[in-house]
Amino acid sequence: MVAVDPLVPEARPRLPRTGFWSGAGRVVLRKPSRIFGLAVIVFFALMAIVGPFLYPKNLPIDPNAIYAPPSLAHPLGTDFEGTDVLALIVTGARYVLYSAAVAAVVTVVVGTGVGLLAGYYRGIRDSALMRVTDLFLTVPGFPLLIVLSTIWNFGAAPAMGLVLGLTGWGGLARAVRSQTLSLRERGFLEAARGLGLSTPHIVIKQILPNVAPYVAMNLLLSVTGAIYAEVGLFFLGVVPFKANNWGVMLNLAVFSGGAITSQNALIYLLSPLVAILLLTLGIVLFLDAMDELFNPRLREG
Amino acid sequence: MSGLARRLASRIVVAVVMIWIVASFTFFLVRAIPGNPVQAEYETLVSQGVNPAQARAETQVIYGFLPHQPLATQYGHYLWQLLHLNLGKSISYTGTPVSHIVLSAAPYTVILVLSGIVASFAIGVIAGVLAAVRRSTRLGDVLSVSGSLLHGVPQFVMALLLAYLFTTEWAIFPFGAPYDASIPVGFSPAFIGSLVSHAILPVAAYALSSYGGWLLTMKSSVVSVLGDDFVLAAELRGIRPITRLRYIGRNAILPLFTILALSIGFMFGGSVFIEDIFDYPGLGQLLLQSINRRDYPLMSGAFLLITVAVIVANILADLLYGVIDPRVRKG
Amino acid sequence: MATAETGVQAASPGTGEAAVRVRDLTVVYATARGELPAVAHVDLDLPAGQITGIVGESGSGKSTLALALLNAVQRPGRILSGSVQVAGVGDVVTLGRRALRQARGGKIGYVFQASQSSLNPLKTVGKQLLDLGRSHDVADLRQLIREAKGLAEEMGLDPVRALGSYQHQLSGGMRQRVGIIFALVLNAHVLVLDEPTTALDMLSQALVLGIVRRVHRERGLTTVIITHDIGVVAELADRLAVMYAGRIVEEGRTEEVLASPLHPYTAGLIAAIPRIVGDPNRSRPLSGRPPDLTTVPPRGCPFRERCPVAMDVCEVEDPALVEVPGGRRVACHARGRGVAVR
Repeated sequence: MVAVDPLVPEARPRLPRTGFWSGAGRVVLRKPSRIFGLAVIVFFALMAIVGPFLYPKNLPIDPNAIYAPPSLAHPLGTDFEGTDVLALIVTGARYVLYSAAVAAVVTVVVGTGVGLLAGYYRGIRDSALMRVTDLFLTVPGFPLLIVLSTIWNFGAAPAMGLVLGLTGWGGLARAVRSQTLSLRERGFLEAARGLGLSTPHIVIKQILPNVAPYVAMNLLLSVTGAIYAEVGLFFLGVVPFKANNWGVMLNLAVFSGGAITSQNALIYLLSPLVAILLLTLGIVLFLDAMDELFNPRLREG
Repeated sequence: MSGLARRLASRIVVAVVMIWIVASFTFFLVRAIPGNPVQAEYETLVSQGVNPAQARAETQVIYGFLPHQPLATQYGHYLWQLLHLNLGKSISYTGTPVSHIVLSAAPYTVILVLSGIVASFAIGVIAGVLAAVRRSTRLGDVLSVSGSLLHGVPQFVMALLLAYLFTTEWAIFPFGAPYDASIPVGFSPAFIGSLVSHAILPVAAYALSSYGGWLLTMKSSVVSVLGDDFVLAAELRGIRPITRLRYIGRNAILPLFTILALSIGFMFGGSVFIEDIFDYPGLGQLLLQSINRRDYPLMSGAFLLITVAVIVANILADLLYGVIDPRVRKG
Repeated sequence: MATAETGVQAASPGTGEAAVRVRDLTVVYATARGELPAVAHVDLDLPAGQITGIVGESGSGKSTLALALLNAVQRPGRILSGSVQVAGVGDVVTLGRRALRQARGGKIGYVFQASQSSLNPLKTVGKQLLDLGRSHDVADLRQLIREAKGLAEEMGLDPVRALGSYQHQLSGGMRQRVGIIFALVLNAHVLVLDEPTTALDMLSQALVLGIVRRVHRERGLTTVIITHDIGVVAELADRLAVMYAGRIVEEGRTEEVLASPLHPYTAGLIAAIPRIVGDPNRSRPLSGRPPDLTTVPPRGCPFRERCPVAMDVCEVEDPALVEVPGGRRVACHARGRGVAVR
């Protein structure tokens, strides 16, 4: 019998096991910033789904209104062809979010899979998987993507998502592995095996739910990471433009519009930047809620 | 052999294997590029009236292997040349050895990236400690929020904003180039001053883009160490507050080293953007240029060197970790 | 709060000079339901030169009481009221920050559970001893190290190896001895041991207890042992205080309390000890579960729900700790009314 005095047995309120969603709702509603974050995410998701239907397939150009300042007709001004910048932002959202979603799913599936297997099996298979993971973690992502662009034109949204996912799963794999190992240390797996449960059952039914909160948070984080990466690649201009998106806008603003050194293309430069930052802000603010939901240790009494 | 030396040795073996894999990757990548640039180079030379034997020889000098030999022979030749630090010759900088070009660009990237890492690490760690210790005060909130916000800003956005704000909107810092071309190169105060003032914005872009990550990680690490028994024990022994803070800091910083490896790769990768935006002649800019100019030997060289820099920086970080944590040292 | 309004709160009588005098000490923890007491109106004297054992189940408040002796209750807890007079120091509850820090480690030594790692994992024992010396403005650090080595040797440790070790290189028993070095090297005269033998193997337990007894005697210490293990107290302690739900429910000379417990809870604790000899079925565990902060009933005797002799009055009135003939104190209505407890 080990009798450690629990100094503060009930000081940290635990969420009841039942009613996860009502608990989650409460956590989100507790701070206005979290409601704002969720609203921003929903707003951009709607923009990606509905946005392209609001405008004609080929956005009209207007040679008489090149780099026009904001006006009623063009709330965010126009670009180098006289195209409405707001229309570019709204129609560009779909590509950005679609490929980011694909990337996040690929990252999570590969990262979680590799991490779970490595942590579950340990030994040789673990070391082999971790060596591969290390390789992906060590080789810097952007240079690799740029070099890859010479042999593969991955400009289309699903291909972009796939490439970003396949090069970006290393960090998650490591984290999931160490979580799995810590479950193992707590005698979790031995207990499950002692009950005669099969390996797939243990991995999927026993371990996965325990790392799921962490994975869920990383799904959102991967979305932001993928957005940066794809916008960055288009900004650099190494991937041929397939569809209008925010990265293309940045590229044209900086390298064709000279937005860094002159002020006339400023709104054109700022619009995609603000869109990216706003979406990021939304995700970060919302993650704060997930953090509290899944990591009670950070809760302050 | 001591634990530290054994650890170093095993890390070096892993590093060599990684470099070999990356080198092989670039070799096969160049051969897989649509239109086979090696063959194309050979044919360009022949069409320019160079006789076939000489064209073959020149192509070999450029790529380090011959277009008509079996793949295995080409691969062996390439690795053999690599072992002698021969990365072939550049096409765009006609005839200049690639190793020469990349090595002269490397210092700009390495110095800027390392300064950025050190600055963001130091500031982020201190801010993280404050954010943790004062987590129920306004200062703590402000610090945490600053960390979350900056953590969310991608490097190229940070660089663009800094470039626009501080070179165009308020022209405080000079734009582009590693130094003012009108100042003669040398160990003069004017020249060094120019180097520094041109480096401030890029370094700030590196630092600000990773500061938030350090802050947030350090904060949660400190919060967790504060709950450790030895912290209470030190208090009950009447250990000075400043000494206790040192105990906490050193223990809390350990988990950051596992992320340092990630961060190093991320920072070197970001050089592509930051050097492009600030027109800074480092490896990242070289990599981009070489792709735009279809200078594949230079591309392979720049990519390889960026990877090597990341690997070496990781080994240094790992050694540092070993020095701080005795459990690793004796293990 | 729910304490008795009757009777004078009697301190441990007939024990001569007290090195530590706890008066009306109440420690509360901030919870979702407001501040709840973990230690409630405790009066206790620790007689100089004697070993006092404080026994209780998990959550009885004994560790909180131990921390309160050094005014080191951790947030979200705080000392609400009362005083802790320590000879040569004063009332630690009202002591200034610097004086309090000097008293901790300097006058009052504290030894942790063996399972808790009380050492900084990144520094050797020797370097942490130097930190201790510097924190307490020790002029001659060499002398401090010599003394630490002497203590180590006394406790059967290789002094050079012990001081050169990191925490992860020490076994549980060794850690505990190193913890005692830290507590005593500055010549503290009060020694507080929190579960000193928990999580140690039997041999290490015996060793550590032997060492505690020896240093206690040789240095003329005033020692408190906080434990859930009545066996430890029976072996070492001169006096015994039993805690339940943040209150002291019985206190007296160890052998007398063990031989004829006056409180039904004490009787239950003793009956629950398994014997090596005889029928194991004779050991009867206490029924029910010990209360924690939130389940202590707001009025009446906190033990009544598990009590075999509970009466109506126990529902409404929290019994006061009163002195009974024979220099003992007990807090039980049944005892006062002549109901047989055993």
